[in-house]
Amino acid sequence: MRIVECEVAVIGGGITGAGTLRDCALRGLKAVLIEKNDLASGTTGRNHGLLHSGARYAVQDPESAVECIAENRILKKIAHHCIENTGGLFVTLPDDDPGFHALLLQGCRAAGIECDEISADHARRLEPHLNPDIVAALKVPDGTIDPFRLTSANVLDAVEHGAKVMTHTEVTGLIVDRERIAGFNCLDKRTGEPFELRARVVVNASGVWGQKVCAWAGIDLPMFPSKGSMVIIDYRVNNVVINRCRPPADGDIIVPGDTVSLIGTTSKKIPYDEIEDLVVDDDEIEVLLADGEKLIPNVSRTRVLRAYCGVRPLVAVSGKTFGRDISRGIVLVDHLERDGAEGLVTIAGGKLMTYRLMAEMTADLVCRKLGRKAACSTRSTPLPGSGKKAPLKKTARRFSGIPQSVVGSTHYRHGERAHRFLSRDPKSYGLICECEMVTAGEVTYAVRHLMAKDLIDLRRRTRLGMGPCQGELCAYRAAGLFTELGPAKGDEATRMLIDFLEERFKGLKPVLWGDALRELEFTYWIYQGLFGLTELDRPSESDEAD
Amino acid sequence: MIDLKNITFDHCLKCTVCTIYCPVARVSPEFPGPKQSGPDAERLRIKDPGLLDDSLRFCTNCKRCEIACPSDVRIADIIQTAKWKYAGRTFRPRDFLLGRTDLLGRPAVRASRLVNALAGFKPARILADKLFRIPVDRPLPRYDRGTFERWFSDHASSQDGFERKAVYFHGCYVNYNDHALGRDVVRLLNALGFGVTLTREVCCGVPLMAGGYIDRARKNARHNIGVLTRASGEAARIVSASSTCSFALKNEYPNLLGLDNSAIAGRIEYITRFVHRCFEEGPVPRLGPLELTVAYHAPCHLERMGGALYTIELLKRIPGLNLKLLHSECCGIAGTYGFKSEFHPVAQEVGRDLFRRIEAIRPDVVITDCETCKWQIELNTSRPVLHPVTLLCQSLDV
Amino acid sequence: MKYDCIIIGGGLAGLTCGLKCLDDGLSCAIISAGMSALHFSSGSIDLLGYDPPGQVVPAPFETLSRFIEARPGHPYAKCGPETIEASLDFFRRELLAEGLEICSNGRDNHFHVTALGTLRPTYLSQASVFNERIREAFFRQPRIAVLTVKGFRDFHPGLAAANLRRNALFKDCEIVTGQIELPWFEQTPQNPHEFRSIDLGRMFDSGRGLGLVAARVKEAARGAVFVGLPAVIGFEDYNRVMKRLMDLTELIIYEVPTLPPSILGLRMDNALKSRFAARGGVFIAGDRVIGGEITGGRLDHVHTRNYGDSRLRAGHFVLAGGSFFSGGLVSEFDRMSEPVFGLEMDYQPGRGNWYSPAFLDRRGHPFLEYGVKTDQALRPLDRHGRPVENLLCVGAVLAGYNPVKEGSGGGTAIATGFQAALRVAAD
Repeated sequence: MRIVECEVAVIGGGITGAGTLRDCALRGLKAVLIEKNDLASGTTGRNHGLLHSGARYAVQDPESAVECIAENRILKKIAHHCIENTGGLFVTLPDDDPGFHALLLQGCRAAGIECDEISADHARRLEPHLNPDIVAALKVPDGTIDPFRLTSANVLDAVEHGAKVMTHTEVTGLIVDRERIAGFNCLDKRTGEPFELRARVVVNASGVWGQKVCAWAGIDLPMFPSKGSMVIIDYRVNNVVINRCRPPADGDIIVPGDTVSLIGTTSKKIPYDEIEDLVVDDDEIEVLLADGEKLIPNVSRTRVLRAYCGVRPLVAVSGKTFGRDISRGIVLVDHLERDGAEGLVTIAGGKLMTYRLMAEMTADLVCRKLGRKAACSTRSTPLPGSGKKAPLKKTARRFSGIPQSVVGSTHYRHGERAHRFLSRDPKSYGLICECEMVTAGEVTYAVRHLMAKDLIDLRRRTRLGMGPCQGELCAYRAAGLFTELGPAKGDEATRMLIDFLEERFKGLKPVLWGDALRELEFTYWIYQGLFGLTELDRPSESDEAD
Repeated sequence: MIDLKNITFDHCLKCTVCTIYCPVARVSPEFPGPKQSGPDAERLRIKDPGLLDDSLRFCTNCKRCEIACPSDVRIADIIQTAKWKYAGRTFRPRDFLLGRTDLLGRPAVRASRLVNALAGFKPARILADKLFRIPVDRPLPRYDRGTFERWFSDHASSQDGFERKAVYFHGCYVNYNDHALGRDVVRLLNALGFGVTLTREVCCGVPLMAGGYIDRARKNARHNIGVLTRASGEAARIVSASSTCSFALKNEYPNLLGLDNSAIAGRIEYITRFVHRCFEEGPVPRLGPLELTVAYHAPCHLERMGGALYTIELLKRIPGLNLKLLHSECCGIAGTYGFKSEFHPVAQEVGRDLFRRIEAIRPDVVITDCETCKWQIELNTSRPVLHPVTLLCQSLDV
Repeated sequence: MKYDCIIIGGGLAGLTCGLKCLDDGLSCAIISAGMSALHFSSGSIDLLGYDPPGQVVPAPFETLSRFIEARPGHPYAKCGPETIEASLDFFRRELLAEGLEICSNGRDNHFHVTALGTLRPTYLSQASVFNERIREAFFRQPRIAVLTVKGFRDFHPGLAAANLRRNALFKDCEIVTGQIELPWFEQTPQNPHEFRSIDLGRMFDSGRGLGLVAARVKEAARGAVFVGLPAVIGFEDYNRVMKRLMDLTELIIYEVPTLPPSILGLRMDNALKSRFAARGGVFIAGDRVIGGEITGGRLDHVHTRNYGDSRLRAGHFVLAGGSFFSGGLVSEFDRMSEPVFGLEMDYQPGRGNWYSPAFLDRRGHPFLEYGVKTDQALRPLDRHGRPVENLLCVGAVLAGYNPVKEGSGGGTAIATGFQAALRVAAD
């Protein structure tokens, strides 16, 4: 059996794992990451995309708030191509307790978060769609962040510094060597090949699945998963982040993100054995739309694109074990100390925007365990794509001849790395996804350099299929392109096409009314009626002669 | 709060039907089509106005995309709005002049012989093409002497005897270029028992909108809504013989300019609809036979507004007429679009099939409701072009 | 404005109804709010593809009576087998008058090949998709080629070939793929990688360079006599272009429908509309019927968005508004409705009931079966539950059938459209 050896093995390709891999790789450690599905396919990919200013925690969790604003500032420098510095508002509605506004202002000031009181009129000038009845507003340095881009950029940098990444690869068992954890048995799900992953230190960064990974090692690490649902609005209805100025509850935020807006979130505690195959419930949709309606009137009457849910991997630190009040603090466990298990650490808890700090802490621990002296450089090293800021105008001039909207969209997603694949070759800038302006060149780049192994991976790297049509035209085109690029032959590509359409459908089901239903009917007529995709599983009609 | 009326792009299902029927996308490889320039791009422009794509200037605003759309997306409106909302403003003398028909028209009709001569003077035209980009191959409209308004005010007393009145929005074409059509309108309305009143109207604003002069267009629109509202106290209906003016007054004012025209919208009627209703309510004036082969071309804006049906029904009532309905398609000129050198080739290419079809039928005359369609068909075919009102008047005369 | 019959909706059902009305000497107007679902249809007509579900029907007319008997609420039950057959004959005749030849495999179903290499049972197909020559040649080929136009993003033979190869019917047949470079691509500043099927169709119409194209097709076919191409071989002049191509290549060429716009569907739509106009029908495009007055169980007139307060009157009205895509049926957060008259619908309240667990469920989705309730005479029920005497419903707006599960979409549209016209003429 093949043996893959390294100094540090990271289990989990979410933002925490990716960030840890990058930090280790930048320090010169020989690092490997395995991920059972695709990068950012877990909780990271179900994130609401809000780059906190920390204001949200200023009242109830001042420590978190300070952490947040520090990381907020760092990320805006090193990950600027993943971030839109939109700014945010905390708005108070007539029904809200005005006292909270004062508390928030105080808490922000105490935590060093820039927080300005502005008039309702000023707020409406910043955000014309705001409820005209708001009575007060606070301006904070919120932003929006794309978790897929962020994860992918961390992985890209890690790989460029010598790390290895294996997606669609899962852990199947533990390797113990002289009473220390020496690694894990793994299975490449795509090829079916089992192999051994041997490492001096294993980092369990698998989020909510961390409990399972620890269980392999006979370690009990109880997690208290909390389901959070979000609703996506078909177009970008707001330009600044809008927060409800009240104690945290459901439906408090409307976050703009690229070409859409997101209304979030809910919080439902769920039993651990139900963390797979979660669905968004009707009552969650109702609450989100009703609360969103209060911030932006009429938003619930526009087109709802899809809804999805993720699981917050809340680790019990001590005391409270339910609701929003379980600490979202960072949990770093050296299992040698806690459980007598040498060679395993777990990094869990925290939130997306403190990933870098979590990674730094973990890499520090890893280095200590390996006896290596290497300082963290992620505080100031920009991610690929966030290099020197290539202004959009300059990129557009350089690639004049390609439509501005195409250049702009590509530049948004990849920053200066877009220059590596943007080309005036008509084949390259031909559009595959027309809703989000994803070109054949970008798809090729994602397949060849960003580890997009199927259409669902591709969607995460490029936004293909994330627009109003949800893959109606681009799914087939992308499947076709995959056969040309090589990673998939015809029937595998067909399988990918089916998987992609089913994945899109999962997010459409909870919101299947109005234009979403019309779009689905149309997509269904194409893939069933025109393309006969449903016939594929049928046993061959060898007895049905023409 | 979100204005639900103005986010029709949200309903787009990406069915691409609009792009099939877009006459510009059909002939011009530089125009990516209404879906991409309209609802697709709008989501991007909302995110970042810098993502505006220059190619949308090729859109002629023919509204054929909207006619084809099964999702009620006001595609052409989205594109026109994007043109002036997101595009930079550079002053072009040509667009300024083309937009101001009143400013040009008033002096031109006083020196019509000179202006018409100059308009046909080849060296001047070549210079105009080089300097201002007005295509040398496109004839400029001839000016009549004086305005139609003047003629009408000299003859206004003839309208006093009528109990019922109709307000006639004559538009710039009749006012400056074709008094005869205006006189025909008056004659027809009189024959139906309606006296005609005019208002102190100004240009409906379509050339201004096409040039991106939205503030000025709004000014004109507000003025027109004002005078027409006051006038309709005297008479129920506001009639126009220009399909484009009618469409602007009724639809473009609220949809594109965002103005409230509810005081007059229900009363604005393109003339054949008005006449048709009169015919249905009776009595019908005697229509004499016209032994002519006639090909009817439905202008784009009339199709969008709904009304070609009435023109067709009226033409069917003329005895002896051999009526051929041309396949409904854009002639290409699209108002001032065809008067711009950078678009002139597209305009010509768009209408090519139509011209071929007309020549194949060899009609005695082509009938159409739009003055710019008339210019385009006369330029590109061997057939004369008349307004349906003119033909009806000929039939009345027999 | 008064007509014998006003038809709301200009899709397959509406146009069939309109043509039959004109055929019977009635005056007829169709009001259509946008282009119909024909624009992304395969251009074939499914009569009855599966019964029981999952089991391909070889001879639909043999199964039809039994099928109808078991489903008295099905639109087919409201027509009867004789009318269904007559409607399809009429449909073929009308299209042939416009030069569009529709073929069947006698009275049996045949398969047409999809872009993903699956075989779908259908009853009528256009000649470029199925005809005698194709029928004879299809299963006896040692080699079949599936080709595309180089750079065309909406058709990928690799996907089709892979799935065809898995079909036992082709176990002795070699399936090759390839692409042809069209000579027109160098002559346009447009990005050829963004051509849609309609752009290619128009290029083929021009006929220029067809000789070169033919040579390239022949070369790419690598000895296969039976060649599949994306359905772009001519848009308006398709008969002549296809004949020329086949003469020049000496190959049997069949067309495979592509991503929308579907040229095959468009040809059918154009032919139907052209025939309708030629026979004197009035087609009002781009206008939406927004309401009508039903009093005393009769519909007196309708209003449209464009015609404002004008009343469009007719002796009879036919609602052919289509399904959700076309706006003939409307769904909201927690309910569905018929938007023009508020007619009673047959559907399951509770949004969770509207769809199947998987997108590509072979049974289709429940919402496909929802629609307006009608009596045996295709008359809907008004707000008080009474049948509206002079209003008939046809096509996808109807409840009581599943076009996917049964493979009956086109057939239902044509049969009910035809049946409605018969009733109108009879009154």
